[in-house]
Order: sequence, then C-alpha cells, then structure tokens
Amino acid sequence: MKNQVTKYYPMLPVLAAYAALFLIGRNMSGMWQLVAMLLFYCALGQAFNIFLGMTGYVDFGYVAFMGVGTYGMALAISRLAHIEGLGAGIIVIGFVLAVLMSTMLSIAVGAVALRLRGAYFAIATIGVNEGFRFLIEGARIWNGSEGIIFTAQLNQILGREAASALATFWADLFVLIIAVAAALVTLIYMRSKIGYALTALREDEDAAKVMGINVTKFKIIAFITSASFAGLVGASSWALKTPYVFPPEVFEIHYTIEAIIIVLLGGAGTLLGPLVGGLIYGISKYYLSIFIPGFQLLIFAPIIIVIIVVFPEGVVGMLKAKTRNTAAGRFIV
Amino acid sequence: MVFEQLTGNLFQGLVLGAVYGMATMGLSLIFGVLKVVNVGHGAFVMVGAFITFWLFSALGVNPIFAIPVAFVIGLGLGLFFYYTVIQRLIKAPELATLLATFSIGVLLQEVVKLIFGSEFRGYNWTVGKIDLGLTVLPVSKLLASLGSVGIAVLLYIWFNRTRAGSAMRSVVEDSEGARVCGVNVGAAYAWSFALGIGLTVTSGVLLTMFIPVGINPYMGGGYTLKAFVIAVLGGLSSPYGAFFGGLVFGLIENGSYTLFALLPGVEPFALTRFLSFLILLIILLIRPTGLLTRK
Repeated sequence: MKNQVTKYYPMLPVLAAYAALFLIGRNMSGMWQLVAMLLFYCALGQAFNIFLGMTGYVDFGYVAFMGVGTYGMALAISRLAHIEGLGAGIIVIGFVLAVLMSTMLSIAVGAVALRLRGAYFAIATIGVNEGFRFLIEGARIWNGSEGIIFTAQLNQILGREAASALATFWADLFVLIIAVAAALVTLIYMRSKIGYALTALREDEDAAKVMGINVTKFKIIAFITSASFAGLVGASSWALKTPYVFPPEVFEIHYTIEAIIIVLLGGAGTLLGPLVGGLIYGISKYYLSIFIPGFQLLIFAPIIIVIIVVFPEGVVGMLKAKTRNTAAGRFIV
Repeated sequence: MVFEQLTGNLFQGLVLGAVYGMATMGLSLIFGVLKVVNVGHGAFVMVGAFITFWLFSALGVNPIFAIPVAFVIGLGLGLFFYYTVIQRLIKAPELATLLATFSIGVLLQEVVKLIFGSEFRGYNWTVGKIDLGLTVLPVSKLLASLGSVGIAVLLYIWFNRTRAGSAMRSVVEDSEGARVCGVNVGAAYAWSFALGIGLTVTSGVLLTMFIPVGINPYMGGGYTLKAFVIAVLGGLSSPYGAFFGGLVFGLIENGSYTLFALLPGVEPFALTRFLSFLILLIILLIRPTGLLTRK
C-alpha cells in the first residue's frame, strides 16, 4: 500500500508548481496574462510529451489535433446556442465534442501513420495539419475558409459579463486543470505496464516486439491520449478565449514548433520536463517579444539545435541524472 | 472544351512537374546516402527563391545566372550544416536528425525574415510567351523546365561516370561494404549532403518562374509537403525516382485542379493540396517503397 502512494510522489512538485503559478497570477496585479500564457505552453508540452517523449516518434502534424479541438468547441457553441436552458452546460458539451473530434482524427491518422516506423512516420504526419486545413477550406466544411465566429452566441447564452469572465479567467483555469490532468496521466502511464512497454519500444522496437510486446497497441494508446489532450487545450485556450476560428490560424504549424521546443528543452519523456520547458520558453518569449517582437524563434531555433547535439536529455533529464539515488531524486521524474 | 482545357493544363503540369522533380532530387539523395530525412527541405527551396529575387531586383542579374550562384551557396550551406550538426547525429536515434533538420529549416526562415521581412515578394522577368494552341506557355517556365531536365541529366552523368559519383552510389548500396573497399564514407556523407542542399537551393531559383508574387520566408512549408509526396512516389532514396515522381505529381496536381474546378461549391486549390496529402498516406500505406521502384 505504501508503495502505491510513493509511486505518485513525483506529482507533488508538479502540483506545487501549478499552485504557485495560480497564486502568483491571482495575487500579483498584471500577472494573470503572463501566467495564462505559461499555463498554455505547459499544457501543450505536457500533452505533446505523452507521445513524443514516451515513444520517441515525432508527430509534425500535432497542431491538427489542437485545431480540431478548437473546432469542437466552436461548433458546439455556434450550432447549439438556440437550444433553451443549456446555459454553461454548452461548455461541457464543447469539451466533450473537442475530445471526440481530436480522438477520431487521431484514430484515423494513427491507423495509417503508426504502421510506419521512424522517418516514414514523420513524413506521414508532416502533412496532417495542412491536409486537414485544406480539406476544411476546399470542401467548405464548417464554413470553410470563412471560419466560425460565435461571439454573439456566447454572449446570448452566458450574458456579456459571464462571457468575458470565461475568456479572461475560467478558460485559463481549464487549461491549468488540463495541464495537471495530462501530467497525472503521464505519471500513471509511466508507473504502469504502458510506460514500461513504451520505454522498451523507444529503446529498441524490434527487441520489444520479439519480447511479445504489442508495440502498435501501446503506440496507439499514447498517440490518442496525447491527441485528445491537445484537443482540450485547443478548445479552452483558443475557442473560449477568442471566440472565432479560422482554418489558417488554428492549424498554424507554429504551435507544433513550440511544442517541440518546450518538450526538448525540458527533457523528452520526463514528467517535469514539459513544465520546466514551458516555463522557460513562455517567460523568454514574453520578454523577448517586448524587446524584439516576432523573433523569438530566431533565438530558439539555434538553441534547440544545440540541445539536440550537446545534451539531448534536456534540463530535467540532466537534473534526473544528477539526483539519482538521492532524496530529491524521488521527486524528479 | 473541358477536354481541351484538361490537355492544356496537363501539359503545363508536365512542365512544372520537371521542376518539382528536380526540386526533390536533393531530398532523395540525402535520404539515400545518409538515411536522414531533411524536414527543413522547403526552407532551402525558399533560400534559393530569395537569392534569385535579390539578385534580380537589387543587381538586375538574369535569373539564369542565379543558378550557379544558388548552387554554390547551397553547397556551402550544406557543408556548414553537415559539419556543425548532421555529422554529430548520424549515429543518434532518428528522432535527433528529424528534429535537427526541422530546426535548421526554422532557423533559415527566421534569418531570411530578419533580412527581408515577412511580406510576399516577387519579380517580373518577361521573356515572351509561346502560343501552343491549347495553352500559352511563358518562355521563362519553359526555360526552368528545360533547366531542370538538364540538371537531372548532368547529375546522372556525374553519378555514373565519375569516381566520386560511384563512391556515393556504393554508400547507398552498402556503407560498410563501401568502407571496406576503401571509399571514404565520411567524405561521401559530407558531399552528398552538400550536393543535396545545393540541388535544393538551385531548385528554388527555377521554382520562382512559376510563382510571380509568392516569395516569402514561410513559402517552404508547402514545398516540403509536396517534396515528400514526390519522393515517396519515387521510392524516397532514388534521385531519378524523385525526378519521375515530380513529373507524375505535376500531372496529378494540374489534372485534379482542372477537375475539382468543375465541382460546384468547393475551393479547387485547397482540395488539390488535400489530395496530395491523401496520395502520400495511400502510398505509404500500400507501397512505402514507392510506386516507381522495381520490386
């Protein structure tokens, strides 16, 4: 029983960090906007890490799942607004739809791409976000390139004041909850059969297969989990904050780039990595955008190349190696 | 009427397809020799386009003369990135080279954006048109297409008639075997990467003939996707496969555009882009070794 509890000790620093972020944001004036951005990057990193970090496969089309989640929320609000008495329940429906849609897309993509290995997998996924964006625009699905604007519906259901509180506070709180949930799921996976199977397949897929591990099954589990969290992040951090969606904006490859930077910076496959990476990236982006607006990637691209070449294990990976077999090591995973 | 339009567009597709093919040879060469997928491929195409644009609009240099300039700059960039980054990652897991080439692409985009800004640019090089009855072909496009064929032929001769070319081919076949036979595999890696990047940057010059006002730091993304479809059509590791893949892709792109334009209530341009993604998935699913390779 004791073992059951100690297994989850590494959640403590994660919870402490998110609680601190929340308190800083609420109690220091003018900080909530920065905290909201940090929460978004941490959540994106936590979600992306479940797949990239645990399997060692890169999904270059990751933003597609976030984009689809955004559409899930937008569709729920814009299409169901006329139903009386839904109230705030429409947000719940939106989240459910976001998860369903990103899960469905990930099953469709995964069914093809996860049969492929390494480089071929990366090639198959690189077009997913573009492909899906052009399907929406080309076949004029969900208003095509005109997008969906649902400010009026949101104001009509919730009232102007509640809608504005939703955009400036509740949406960010949802992102925080999603980030914590993604971290918890990461830890649960790490401590269960799934995590061991994924570690085996990341180190040597053929050997894992020979040992009787159903590698495809575990890859699909990680892929779908990661994608559905991305859908949730899109639904709350985009759709609820800015009540409109346009295909070129929600399928912007920048988010995939940022997710890669965050996960590698912090340490791929670690629990704390996305949190550390998200904080470093978010804070530097915030201040860089004050001094040299629009050029944070110019600085981060060479940094990420250096990380890949010099210390591929990232910040948390290095800390983990340093604190192994010490008391602190039990909390750094 | 539709038939005539389709024939005309298919011809245009073949002209563009030769350039697409040439633009993918570098990607396939690098994958064939180093087993590295250059995810930053499109960014190198973009660099070529900006070299052409800058030479033409600032110095008034004819785009034809931009070809050798772009090739030499490409070789330089290739050697630089090989020795600073790729060489250190050859033995690392595939994830490392994928992320590294991706980051190199992002770096190039941001550097070009710093120099030129992010607005769309273009230049106007008019050298007349040829009326072929079914369709009108600008001479600049024809020159780009013939240039692509010429470069592909030169590459073929170089691969098959020179020592360095045979050394590279031997590394593609079996790098251990090549090493045993006295081939300097390290040098073959470095020069294949440099040559691949050189070809890709050069293709950027030729592609500008088809996009009058489409030069932008972020234009590369679309070409990366197209290049992957084409490379996979041609079997991914063969530069000639890639060239023929390009011809096929040019036909598919223009043919499907003409047909989609007949459908009511759709945006044919976007659907064409979706179709190319779909083709990629289908080929990877049924024949990842490529449609144009022998079994």
